[in-house]
Formats: sequence, structure tokens, C-alpha cells
Amino acid sequence: MPTVTIDGRTVDVPAGTNLIEAGLKVGVQIPHYCYHPRLSVVGQCRMCLVKVEGMPKLQAACATQVMKDGMVVSVDHPEVKALQEGVMEFLLINHPLDCPICDQAGECGLQDYSFKHGQSFSRFDYEDKRTYPEKERIPLGPTVLLNMNRCIQCSRCVRFTHEISKTSEISFFERGAHLEIGTFPGKPLDNELSTCVVDICPVGALTSTQFRFAERVWYLDKKPSLCTGCDVGCNITIEHRRGAIRRYKPRLNEAVNDFWMCDHGRTTFARYAAVPRLAAPRLLRGGELQGVTWKDALDAVVHKLKGRSEGAVAFLGSGFLTTEEGFLLAQLAAAVGSPHRAVSVDGGPARTIPNRQGGITGRDAAPNRRGVELAGMVPGEGGFDADALLLGDAASRCAVLFVADSDFGAAAHDPKVIARLRQARVLVVMGWADSPLAQAADIALPAATHAESEGCFVNVDGRLQRFERAFPAIGEARPGLEVLRDLLARFDPHWQGLGPEEIFARMAAALPALKGLAWRSLPAEGVKLATTGGSPP
Amino acid sequence: MAFEPVLTRNIGNPAVLTVDGYRKAGGYQGLAKALKMQPDEVVEEVKKSGLRGRGGAGFPCGLKWTFLPKGLDKPRYLVCNADESEPGTFKDRLLMERDPHQLIEGCAICCWAVGAHTCYIYIRGEYVEPAAILERAIRDAYESGVLGDSVLGSGFKLDIVVHRGAGAYICGEETGLLESLEGKRGQPRSKPPFPAVVGAFGCPTVINNVETLCNLPHIVERGADWFKSIGTDERNTGPKLYAVSGHVERPGTYELPIGIKFQELLDLCGGMYQGRQLKAFVPGGASAPMLAAKMRDVKLDFDTLAKSGSMLGSAAVIVMDETTCVVRAAARLAKFFAHESCGQCTPCREGTHWAELVLGRIERGEGRESDAELMLRMTKNMSGTTICALSDAAVGPARSVIVNFREDVDQHIRERRCPVPPRRFFGEGN
Repeated sequence: MPTVTIDGRTVDVPAGTNLIEAGLKVGVQIPHYCYHPRLSVVGQCRMCLVKVEGMPKLQAACATQVMKDGMVVSVDHPEVKALQEGVMEFLLINHPLDCPICDQAGECGLQDYSFKHGQSFSRFDYEDKRTYPEKERIPLGPTVLLNMNRCIQCSRCVRFTHEISKTSEISFFERGAHLEIGTFPGKPLDNELSTCVVDICPVGALTSTQFRFAERVWYLDKKPSLCTGCDVGCNITIEHRRGAIRRYKPRLNEAVNDFWMCDHGRTTFARYAAVPRLAAPRLLRGGELQGVTWKDALDAVVHKLKGRSEGAVAFLGSGFLTTEEGFLLAQLAAAVGSPHRAVSVDGGPARTIPNRQGGITGRDAAPNRRGVELAGMVPGEGGFDADALLLGDAASRCAVLFVADSDFGAAAHDPKVIARLRQARVLVVMGWADSPLAQAADIALPAATHAESEGCFVNVDGRLQRFERAFPAIGEARPGLEVLRDLLARFDPHWQGLGPEEIFARMAAALPALKGLAWRSLPAEGVKLATTGGSPP
Repeated sequence: MAFEPVLTRNIGNPAVLTVDGYRKAGGYQGLAKALKMQPDEVVEEVKKSGLRGRGGAGFPCGLKWTFLPKGLDKPRYLVCNADESEPGTFKDRLLMERDPHQLIEGCAICCWAVGAHTCYIYIRGEYVEPAAILERAIRDAYESGVLGDSVLGSGFKLDIVVHRGAGAYICGEETGLLESLEGKRGQPRSKPPFPAVVGAFGCPTVINNVETLCNLPHIVERGADWFKSIGTDERNTGPKLYAVSGHVERPGTYELPIGIKFQELLDLCGGMYQGRQLKAFVPGGASAPMLAAKMRDVKLDFDTLAKSGSMLGSAAVIVMDETTCVVRAAARLAKFFAHESCGQCTPCREGTHWAELVLGRIERGEGRESDAELMLRMTKNMSGTTICALSDAAVGPARSVIVNFREDVDQHIRERRCPVPPRRFFGEGN
């Protein structure tokens, strides 16, 4: 591999690597606006110009590839510094400098580079600024607003719609200082990935209608997590303020969602606010809902499970459970000797996220059907399946029906289905949502949302990915993993007090597909499992 | 001066608009000779002649052809740049209107030399009549067996297509032209790859100016040594068309050996209009820095002008007399470049606009003390920092008015007015 020396630091890079990427390898950040690793190189912002030995003029780092040994590049050269100051000045002369009312403030490329590479003064006169009258809040489509005055014409959004979403809605219009981006009449920016243009816009020109003015970005806490919108398993960052989720942002995982995620996924946290929250354990006694302590609630569940005289005990899981929760649920079924283990997942429209392998398509409306099934939530010999419980009369033959979680799909809100499930003599429902199903339960166990939990999902490709807890659960809600563990410990004290890591270890030991995996050493991009077929515990 | 016109020898003979008439005037001899030579020999001959591109950059023509990659399984194209839109330039128009077959012959020789079977002539949209004349001449050439499946019966296949532009200056930049030719927005491409490797439709492409191509029949017919005998030195050879406009008695296109002195050219044009004094001149089209009258003895060739702080460019000589406000001229040109910037590169998009504002306010008498320095600093940031040369072109007049006519600029700022009374010319007022 050819070597390149950047600011005195030499590194081997594959031939064809551009200087921005090569710089990152040696810890030299070359400032840039128009360059994006997944978009074609256009070299038009001119912010990344660097000094290349032997070249008379400064060269665009994004468009300069390391082809043979011995290229010597200076980024800290005075000429480069002067150029960067010049470009920053050019970019700012017509910029409205409306940071106090701009949604991008705090995560803005202009702010960052002004601070790092700019000058502290302007030689431009305020009254002469070029503006785009009437173009301060143009809806490009249902999800994106354009403020043309803030645009720096980097063309990332134009290239995104041409090259990634392949929908070509955004284009350049006019030219020179009046160059602007826009959509064609009657062809709004309306594709499944449209909000990605907001992510890649380096300035506040494109803002998300969903997030706009929801929060100042510096108040946001950010935690890596996974999207629950479908079974693609997009890597995301949950951005919240004290437990109130403000937005999901895609997080790079080349094997899954690359830099992108779909608009649907970004809206999925809304359900945590749309459905009332189940905040404390609850019993239904004599037609009345009564709050109880966790101990009483769990004891009551165990009493019902152990004390039944006749009838089945069925466990209905969901695609929203973590793989660990699915595993514990299956273990609980095993502890009471029940073959009735099922998972109910709504189908959804196919959602495709492009990546460099050609893309990945999800079809479930939940993230982890495969993981929960893999963990053992499949019917055993003669066991009820989900259809038997939801559409048939299987529930009426149940002494105890344990449903996790309370918002597993549309059926959890369907009075007819609830009436059917209610035919079980005892209905136990665990979950974060105080759904109509939870309200019909004899025993309701409040669980954490996925943002309040940690665990693993297995996506449509059979890739096991771990996510972290973004913030603690509210009220008395506890992670499903702890609830199920405590129930299980009442059958087998070996489960007493185990944490996520130990439970993962037990799961990995029990499931051939997870053989050799450890909680702490799961790679960031996840692990593609050899098999995803479920098997009874 | 004993100079016999070469490129313009048929001008004034309307018969050369047809293949027959052009043949009678001695045409298509060069092509016939070239077809009997090996393509490499033609390339060698052109390299030896020292012919440099007449479009503005002055890049050695033969050398450019050798950049085409060998052994690539792709067609090669010749694109003739006839998007003559540099303000002040009207030489290619003359060649296309009055002697279209000379261009067709030049294109054919070039295609034979580089192995191209398709040639696109990208002609500026406003050239309605030249385009029609070319189309007619090409049709005639097809019917006479000059073009088509067998050029002059040699078995060499060649098609020439005229493509009309839509009126953007930037489409005269070779990669902006290619984008436009491909049906896209006319925005120059980031180089490398150069058009010789990835050009029109992703294929190796040679792009030459009309005048450059028109030289080829003569070089082939009369030899490189004859060509080299014309001109200043080894690096500046051949005949050159100078398009003279402005305050001279007889403006027009003059064919002269490259490297004639400005004063000699001025004399040939009948001197200054009504005997007025020379104030300033632009030697190479709007993008060439303006020179002051004291530079009148400069030789109008590539290297001498480059050394003098300007450039030969398209050799459009714009002459301005003492009644001209050079600041207004520069401000008007700044407006042109701001209007024509494609807008993709930051320094050009923002810089041309800023320069237009600052020069405009200086000219109106609203300039500030710091404006001259501001122009110098700003234009420095615009030079050599963009994808194409439009930004540098805009810097040419804007910077030179500060450097070469500082007193005029200072007077505007000091007296808070333009010392030259406003006049209305045709087309002014915008």
C-alpha cells in the first residue's frame, strides 16, 4: 500500500484513498463541507484545500487520491490556513448569522469551522447581504424545511437524492451567488429516507419538521441504541433530555444502515408518548384496578403459575422484547413445563435502507422477532401459536396467559382480541404501555421501554446487535429482564440477582447460535449469526 | 508587413461556403495529405509546429492529444469548442460564418490523428446564423463524401454533430461544456480525471478551439517548419486572429503573426478613435488583466503577456481611450462574471458577487478607504482556489484595475464621485 505523509505523520493507505480519509488515519482533520464518504466527490466547497508537495496550486483533499508512495501533504501550512480563513469569510458574508434562532446552532459546520479556522471579524457590510426573499421556510416535503438564506450550496442534499435515495427530488436552480436548491413543481421531497438530507446538511438550511424547535441540541443527552421501527435494526443515537426523547439520529454501521435511516424509524419513539404509560404494578380485584408492590405482584404471578389445578399456561411474546427477555420468558415457560410459547409480530410495509452491500430490507413492524424466536419462544410439541391465541379460542383453555409486552402490536388495542385473550382465567401482562390489553389484565407489570433497557436484537439478516440504556425507567417500571429474572428466581434460585451480562452468558451457553459470544466483547457492528432458527429450550 | 493571411485567406470569397468552392480555393488538400500519413505522424507534425490552443489557455495542442490513454476499449471523441463567449471575442464566429469547411477539414484531421470517429461542435446558443451555416456545410460535406462512412474515400468513418449551447459563459470551460453536451447543468468538473481520460460520455475526449482546429489543414499541408517560421519564438508560433474592439478607427478581426506589438496592431486598426489618447487596453478578452497605456509596446503572444501580468487569452483586444472610466469598465466586467459564475465553488460564487458590490460602490463614489485593500485581499482568495478558471478570470480585471489604475480608484474614493461623466452606450444601463 502506498504511504502518504500528512503534517509529518506517515501512514499506509490503500491506493485510491482520498486525503480526507487518509488524514483521519493519522489524526489530522481536514475541514470540509461538500465531501461525504458515501456521496460522489465534487470538490466544490473548497474548504479542504491542502498543500501537496510538487503541486503549484493548493489541491482539494477530497478529490486528491493517494496513488503512489511518497506523497507529502501539509494541512498546517500558512497558505492553507489563509485559504481556510478566506473560504470561511466567503461562506459567511451572505450567511444570515441567525444562530440564536437557528435549529442547527450547536451542531453547525459553520459555527464549528468559524471557531476553528475562521476570523473573528467580517469585512463585509451588513446591508449588502444577498438574501432569498420568501425562502426562509420552504417545505421541501412533509419532513424537511428549507431556509435558503442559510444554505452554503454544498450540494450534499442534491447528491443524496440522486445517488442514495435515487429519487432526484432536490436540484440546483439558478447560478452564481443566486444558486439555490429546491424541488421541481409538484415533485416534493417525499421519499422514505428524506430526513437524511437534514442529517447531512452541514448548516441550518435543511431542518426536520419533526425536531424543529423541540430542543436546543446542547441540552440533549445522546446514547447509542437501535431503532425499533422494523427488523432492519438501524443503529441510532437516542437523543433525549431527561428521559424525553427528542429525536433518533442514524449512527454509522456499514453492515446495516450505513449512515442512513428511514423517516418512519425516526417517528417510532412517538408511541412512547402516544400510549399512556404503565408506571406501577397493578392487580385487578373485583373489577377494580389496585396498585400493589412489586413483591406482591410477582408473588401473585408465581402463585397463579404454581397454584393452577388445570388448564394450560401460555406465554405470548413480542418482537419488541430483547433477545434476553425472550430467553428468560422461554425459561419461565420451561420452568412451568409449558409448550405454549409464541411470538406475535405485526407485518409492516417493506422498508429498505441502502448500504454498500446493496441495501437491507425489513418487513416486520418490530425489531426482534428473530431474536425472541431464537431464544426459544416458539411453540413446543402441541403448543399454541400466536394465531391460536389471538384469533382462535386457545386463551379460553388457559389457566394463565402471560403476555409480554403490552403493546406488541395492533392486536393489543383491538377490543375483540382483548376479549378473546381475557378468556384465560388469569391474564398477566407485562410492558411499558398501559394499553387496553394491560388494563384488562389481572396482573399488570410495568416494564421499561427499549430506551430504558439494554439488550440485543437480531435483525432480518440474523445480525445480533447490542444496545445500551439511554436513561432510567420512569416510576416503578423496571427492565423486563429484571422482572422476568425475579419471576424465574422464584422457581430456581440460580437466577437470583443476575445482571444482563450473566444472563447473556447463560443464553450464549444455552443457544448454539450464540456459541462463544460474550456481552462485553460483542463487536460494535454486531455479529452475524450462523443460524436464526428458534428451538425449544 | 509581408504577411499573407492563412486562416482568413478565404474570407470574402462566398464560394468557399460549398465543398466545391472550398476545393477550388485549395481546400481539403491538408486532409487528403493527412489521410495518407499515419495518425502518429500527424500528431508529431502538430507537436513540432508548436501550435498552442487558441481558446485562451494556450496549451500545446499536439501534446494535449498525446494524453489520450492507449489501449482503452472505448470510443474517442473530438469536441470542438465553439462556445465563443469571452466578452470582446468574435474570431471563431468569423471562421465559422465565412469559411466553415476550413473548420470541418481541421476537425477531420484532428479526428484522424487521434482516432476519433465522432466530433461534436459545441457552438454557443446565440450563434444562430453560424450554426445554420455550419449545418449546411456539414450536410454538403456528407453529400460530397468528405464526411460519413469513408472520408475522401479513405475508409475512415467520421461524423460531425453540431450541438447548440444555451447561452452560459461557463459552458465554454471545457468540462462545463462536456456536462452541457451530456444534457446536464453546465458546471465544470473537478479534475483529474482530465477530459483526455474521462471526457464526453465518460470516454477519452480531445477538446480544441475553433481557431486551433482551423490551423491544422495548413500545418499538415505546408509543414511544421513553415508554421514555426511565423511568430515570436519557438513557443509562440503561427498566425493569430486578433479581435479588436473599442476606441479604434477600424475595429474588427485581424490576422497577424502571433507576437505582434500592441502598438502595431493599433496602427493597423487606423489608430485611436478620433485621435484620442489611449488609456487602457485588454489584450486577451474580458478575463485578461487590463494594461495601462504605457504597456503599448508589449508583444501580443502567450509568454510575453504572461510575463507582463496579463494574458493572451482569446486575443480579444479591447481598447479604451481617455474618456473611459476604467473603474466602471472593471465594475461592469465584475457584474458579468458574477452573473456567469456557476456557483458551485465557494470562492467564485461569493467572491464574484462581493467584487461586483465593492467595485460598483467605488464607481458610484460610495467606496471606502479600505476598499482597494479589500479588493486585493479578496481577489487573492479567489485566485487558484476553484475547480475552473472562471474565478481567476474574474480576478483579472478586478485586480488589475486596483494594481494598474490605483490613482483612478483612489480618485473615485477621495472625491466620492466618478470623474468621468456618465454616457449611455448601446446596451448600457444594466
